[in-house]
Amino acid sequence: MAETDYDVVVVGAGAGGGTMARVLGEQGIKVALLEAGPMIDPQKDFKTHKWPYDYGHRTAERGGQAYFGNGTAYGFFTTVSGGWQIDGEPYTSAPGTKFDWFRSRVVGGRTNHYGRMSFRFSDLDFKPYSRDGIGWDWPISYEDVAPWYDRAEEYIGVTGTVEGIRSAPDGKFHDPPEPKVHERLMRAAGKRLGVPFIANRRAVITRSINGRLPCHYCGQCGRGCLTASNYSASQVDVFPAMKTGNVEVITEAMAREVEVNESGLASGVIYVDKAERREKRVRARAVVLAASACETARLMLNSNSKHFPDGIANGSGLVGRYLMDTVGFSLRGTLPALENLPRYDTDGFGGAHLYAPWWLWDDHHKLDFPRGYHIEMGGGFRMPGPGSFSSLARATGYGAQLKQKIREQYGTGIGLSGRGEMIPNNQSYMDIDPAVVDRWGIPVPRFHFSFSDYEWKQARHMERTFRDLIEAAGGKVLGIGNMARESQGIAVPGSIIHEVGTARMGDNPGSSVLNKYCQAHEVRNLFVADGATFVSNPDKNPTLTINALSWRTAEYLSEELRKGNV
Amino acid sequence: MSSKQGFVSIEALSRRDALRRIALAVTAAGLGRGIAPADAAEVHQQVNQERTFRGEYEVKYFNEREFRTLERLSELIVPADEGGPSGREGGAPEFIDLLSSQNEELAGIFTGGILWLDNASNHRYGKRFAEADEELQTAMLDSLVAAEREDRGDDTRWDTREYGRFSVFGVRTPSDMRSGLVFFDWARRLIVDAYYTSPAGIKDLGFVGNASHTEYKVPRESIDYAKGRSPFRDA
Repeated sequence: MAETDYDVVVVGAGAGGGTMARVLGEQGIKVALLEAGPMIDPQKDFKTHKWPYDYGHRTAERGGQAYFGNGTAYGFFTTVSGGWQIDGEPYTSAPGTKFDWFRSRVVGGRTNHYGRMSFRFSDLDFKPYSRDGIGWDWPISYEDVAPWYDRAEEYIGVTGTVEGIRSAPDGKFHDPPEPKVHERLMRAAGKRLGVPFIANRRAVITRSINGRLPCHYCGQCGRGCLTASNYSASQVDVFPAMKTGNVEVITEAMAREVEVNESGLASGVIYVDKAERREKRVRARAVVLAASACETARLMLNSNSKHFPDGIANGSGLVGRYLMDTVGFSLRGTLPALENLPRYDTDGFGGAHLYAPWWLWDDHHKLDFPRGYHIEMGGGFRMPGPGSFSSLARATGYGAQLKQKIREQYGTGIGLSGRGEMIPNNQSYMDIDPAVVDRWGIPVPRFHFSFSDYEWKQARHMERTFRDLIEAAGGKVLGIGNMARESQGIAVPGSIIHEVGTARMGDNPGSSVLNKYCQAHEVRNLFVADGATFVSNPDKNPTLTINALSWRTAEYLSEELRKGNV
Repeated sequence: MSSKQGFVSIEALSRRDALRRIALAVTAAGLGRGIAPADAAEVHQQVNQERTFRGEYEVKYFNEREFRTLERLSELIVPADEGGPSGREGGAPEFIDLLSSQNEELAGIFTGGILWLDNASNHRYGKRFAEADEELQTAMLDSLVAAEREDRGDDTRWDTREYGRFSVFGVRTPSDMRSGLVFFDWARRLIVDAYYTSPAGIKDLGFVGNASHTEYKVPRESIDYAKGRSPFRDA
């Protein structure tokens, strides 16, 4: 077995691992960064500014696979490497469970295409149990994390406006672009109903920082940005980390096990070199897992030794437990006020320019569910693609009136999506399927998942609110968005891709896996720097908090290495 | 199963001829036979579009009868009007041919569907679809739409109906329009998609994005238009 030595080995080159490698590398610490996929080359891999007609298949992909539900997840233009299923790398679900697991195997991971919503958790979010007696408190408070949010936001670049809303703490913002027409209508509707729409907070820069150009408003963040005007771990963390000269990225490296030495400390990581299909070892003084919540838990559960027969650092038995996703619900409608609207460029900075933070945070005693949600929005004159007008064509028939109808209705659609907090529960977890290994010989995760009444009632509140908003704007509700995935009126677990919580932090080693620095209670040189660390899953998209906590853990680890404690 | 037919559409040939004539005229211009610059620009623009959509395209899957039927359907389903050209100009026949050459399931929908259409047309009019008069062709499409409405009601979603997937395609009796609905739905879907993803269709829609701006601005005219038509006109 080939062996190499570093100060730290980091598993996973996404938001958490990228931040970790960059911060450590900048401090002169020698890092091996393992990535299960290939290196990314923006010039080659990003389809920025392309048109559908640049391709014979018009983005329907070879043989029109997109029409058959077999196209690239989120569309041909999107930069992903992986998806809901990966050939030869299955995952399983317990009977009665439906769970969708999105994996992106490439440097930068899912941050190459993600929505870039960047919301701070609030003081309420870090201490939910203290407030309503449900779930668990984090071992850290908003005050502990705020300085790290500051640093992460200043480095990444996040838009927004200072609003003073307790459930949505303000940050270090870049100026946001002005709202689009349909967003102004929804804001007016929200005003009538008491739902506040404010400037969206997205990881996009509108002034130049760190040699990155400001946004040019092509609206194509999901394709990857050639000017790095948005945050992606690849361009903003991993590339700068490599430039320090202290970080070596090892691609096509599928981690299978954390190795443990005689004294029960981590000694390195064994991975499968995918090109050679053989095992290799990276030895290091410390190991940081940032492979995404479920890959990290899988790796820990698969790391069995005489010290840790049930998985490394799993004395509590909580590795894999309390898996959470976001409660997702969407409603679509049309706004007749927008028919034949004078055309303008609605691309903007790649997502909605407004969103509604949770506004009833002080009114839970009047509601039948304990936690909140925020509202995201879609609409505008979008670049046409396969299926853009299929429903309209069906409703109209064919011929001259079809063309007329499409001109009239183009851009009148509105979509509202709720993103709500799920309460961690005993029925939602992942373990290792005893009967299945992947093509690399690694046992695979098995998912168990169940929403409780807390989530169902919250989703019904979303449904009522979205209907009221659309109707207040004079619109017509078209039905639940994407029926296939939301057939029960709540998005399929995992499908919002906010899965977190499989190796949670806490002060008590009996009821948590990690301490408040995301350091394993039982293995002092083992750290976690992804969403696995989350104690709860507030209605805030997790990436910014992963960045902030990883940065905080990196500084702590650096200090512990310097002191010789690790 | 893909078969190389090795012919190009008539329209493409005529445009190529136009290019040749222009090329001759430009050469001849030196001899005193001029050509209006606007005409030259027009043809050059046509030729550019042709390059993208038609000119260089060699039909890969369908035979001439099938391809001609697709061309006619593309003209009827998305007809030329004051806002833009037809689905045929948008490259719909080529789009369907390319995808069909790569996907047998899709190819079967179209080859079977065109046979059904010709059979139904023969029964009704004594002529194959592409050879029938426009009046008869639109009468046939009107029948298909009527059958579709009867079958589908107001449900226009793609993924909630069984025949969203190719599973119930088949010729029952030519007089029963329902047999042709899967094919008609696919043909319309792909023709509409091809047109609106072509430069002409994008222009028709008025999509002005995929651009680069130093600052993002929303025009007052658009804001006022929508507000004036909304419940918030006084807000």
